[in-house]
Amino acid sequence: MEITKVLPDDCISLIISLTSPRDACRMALLSHAFNSIADSNAVWQMFLPLDYIHIISNSSSPPSLLSLPKKDLYFTLCYHPILSHNGDMFQLEKESGKKWYMVGARALSIQWVDTPRHWTWISLPDSRFCRVAKLKNVGRLEIKGKVKLNTLSSNTNYEAYFVFKLVRDRYGFRHTPVELDVSIEGTAAGEVRSVILDPPRNMPQQAKERVDGWLEIEMGEFFNGFENDRTVEFSLREDHDDQPKRGLIVQGIELRPKHKNNR
Amino acid sequence: MSEVDMAVIKPEMMKSYIWLQTADGLIQQVEQEVAMFCPMICHEVIQKDMGSSKNYAISLPQRVNPAMLSLILDYCRFHQVPGRSNKERKSFDEKFIRMDTKRLCELTSAADSLQLKPLVDLTSRALARIIEGKSPEEIREIFHLPDDLTEEEKLEPLKNTTDDPRIRLLNRLYAKKRKELQERQKLKNIEVEEERVDDRSVDDLLSFINGDNGDSKGIKNSKSKKKNRRRKDQQKNTSANEAIKNHNKEPNGLNQVCHSAEVGQKVRAGVGATSNLHDVEDDIFDNKNEPDDGDIDDEIDPALKEKIDREVEDFARRLNSDWPERMQEILSFGHERKPVHFSLNGNGSLRRYANSEQR
Repeated sequence: MEITKVLPDDCISLIISLTSPRDACRMALLSHAFNSIADSNAVWQMFLPLDYIHIISNSSSPPSLLSLPKKDLYFTLCYHPILSHNGDMFQLEKESGKKWYMVGARALSIQWVDTPRHWTWISLPDSRFCRVAKLKNVGRLEIKGKVKLNTLSSNTNYEAYFVFKLVRDRYGFRHTPVELDVSIEGTAAGEVRSVILDPPRNMPQQAKERVDGWLEIEMGEFFNGFENDRTVEFSLREDHDDQPKRGLIVQGIELRPKHKNNR
Repeated sequence: MSEVDMAVIKPEMMKSYIWLQTADGLIQQVEQEVAMFCPMICHEVIQKDMGSSKNYAISLPQRVNPAMLSLILDYCRFHQVPGRSNKERKSFDEKFIRMDTKRLCELTSAADSLQLKPLVDLTSRALARIIEGKSPEEIREIFHLPDDLTEEEKLEPLKNTTDDPRIRLLNRLYAKKRKELQERQKLKNIEVEEERVDDRSVDDLLSFINGDNGDSKGIKNSKSKKKNRRRKDQQKNTSANEAIKNHNKEPNGLNQVCHSAEVGQKVRAGVGATSNLHDVEDDIFDNKNEPDDGDIDDEIDPALKEKIDREVEDFARRLNSDWPERMQEILSFGHERKPVHFSLNGNGSLRRYANSEQR
């Protein structure tokens, strides 16, 4: 029994779409019949996020993206983040098709950010966003952000990361921890993490270096269920010691699906 | 189901039966509420007034043989009972799909023809779980698929949307291999004049190319004309590629939006009114998309060509994996799997070792 003689093409498409993008790529090389089915729009449309049309239409990307074959669109979205009109950035995670999301500094609520004495907006070539916020001097640090859960992939555990840099001329972060918090509005607050962003060399560095040269520190995690009109809120705070702080550059907060094994 | 449908299957009614006929001629009667669980049967009864007697038995689609019908009716008989809990249904489903792959496929097909979507979803998920993560050879074995993609088709160049140098190298490798395959093919051709230098006029060649793309002879003869065109394109591509390379420092990492957008604009302006991003990307990021990619190598200064050849062979050695099936996967996903050896033959072509023991 050869499967293509038993099952119609749309059944085979359905089966392939229930595997994974990686499997679908592999299956394009099985046989002639599978080649066209595995590369078809019917299959790859299922790997794209449900609201991909909405995302692309509300972004700075050309609408011609929508006329690409769905497989090409999928990989384009994996390798080329989409900048939406409200300043946030979308990308797809290759293995699963789930969304990566980043809120840029401009879209965060940073206390005193528009006062030139305290913060300044600069442009760095290795940032994904055109502008990042650089801290000149504050006594109390407060950075908040929020994201509507229905913009993210449903049925997914997400981790939130604060993406930042510290310049050479910095102070206030070496001995004083900042408090990081992630919680879904309307639910009980999650654990508040207390971390030192700039530990001395003999102390463990909790922030990790990213591929793009920036640092990231995990703020917390949350689960995005199926029906979700709610918002998830993030905050980074240091408002206890009132000591001056300087030299932090904020790129934004990135949300990524959580994985048990680290690649 | 519509209100009319519901009226037909009120439980207070006398137990009635629907008559069904499978493609082999066999006629059987089935409890009404069970049969009506299938949309296709429901439609036949309601819309066409069929199935009420032996003479008006509903002809089932060919994909539904008696064995499959029996299974489907078991499924319907269980699920059409309204009082069951989700847990019960799930438990039934899990036991229900325990059957060999062949039957699963037949069942999917039969359920599909009866438009019984919940069962199609159930069996499709089961089949998806079976093939997930398996290698192409394993899947071919399970589904009895012929390995009927030609070597050439498997060597189609990969789209290089990120200008990944590995993909560029791989495409070169493919091009080289395709060229070898073509050469081998041509050696089989009796006509010796194909080997001679072609001195037809440019126009002749152009019309030949346009009229006869699939012919291997055509490709060979059109080489001289295509060479000139390719040279220009190659130079254009190279300079564009250089421009892109300067902007995209990390082909595997995240791209910078500002800069990619800038480049995108330059490219778009250059290409004029082409609104199709796909074409633009192809021109810029793909080095080649036609079988005569091997021609590019002929253009280049021999010293450079040798360097490139060495690079390609070195790459081939380093690849060390099950190609070409894994290649597609690896370079789309950047994940190395268990290696399989292949080495170079004396004449520079690649040979693959059997890999069944090496997994």
